[in-house]
Amino acid sequence: MTNPAHDAIKAEIENNDVVLFMKGTASMPQCGFSSRVAGVLTYMGVPFKDVNVLADESLRQGIKEFSDWPTIPQLYVKGEFIGGCDIVTEMTLSGELDKLFEEKGIPFDKEAADRIREANA
Amino acid sequence: MSVARTIREKLTAAFDPVALEVEDQSERHRGHAGWREGGETHFHVRIRARAFAGRGRVEAQRMVHKALAEELAGPIHALSLDLGGPDRP
Repeated sequence: MTNPAHDAIKAEIENNDVVLFMKGTASMPQCGFSSRVAGVLTYMGVPFKDVNVLADESLRQGIKEFSDWPTIPQLYVKGEFIGGCDIVTEMTLSGELDKLFEEKGIPFDKEAADRIREANA
Repeated sequence: MSVARTIREKLTAAFDPVALEVEDQSERHRGHAGWREGGETHFHVRIRARAFAGRGRVEAQRMVHKALAEELAGPIHALSLDLGGPDRP
């Protein structure tokens, strides 16, 4: 049996290189954790698709099952689950996120990423 | 039993940690979605345990999610995690 919410999630991560499942939207986040990850991606100039899970209860539940991950936000890059707010924050500060984007061919502003690290050093 | 104490007991049983800190950060999220009067909705947990040595971040967090599945489906609204092996600072 197929789950329509899972199909919709699959389509999003297949059709967009970087997808952030979040509460609210990138321009109007509804949660501090979602806001932080959207803010990092925006500041780094990474093109990404924001999917507001609050807009659809089946999506909000579906993404937790789909990723086997109980919390939101959730970041996907080229179809691969990267993690939530803690993981994205750690990877930003360690430079691993830059490396991931380089490997996956995702454009981003390296100087902006360096500025985030300098500000949090 | 308080949520914080349940978290502490379950994580101790699951991972036999060398360090475990459970911090109720609910007050910082006063008025936000999921927040309730009385707190115990937003937690930060730091664990150092052999169980996490050599594990990837996603894998380590999934181990904790599994140990706290009941609480995550219930009272916990947000859980931020800092996980690592015994040698991680």
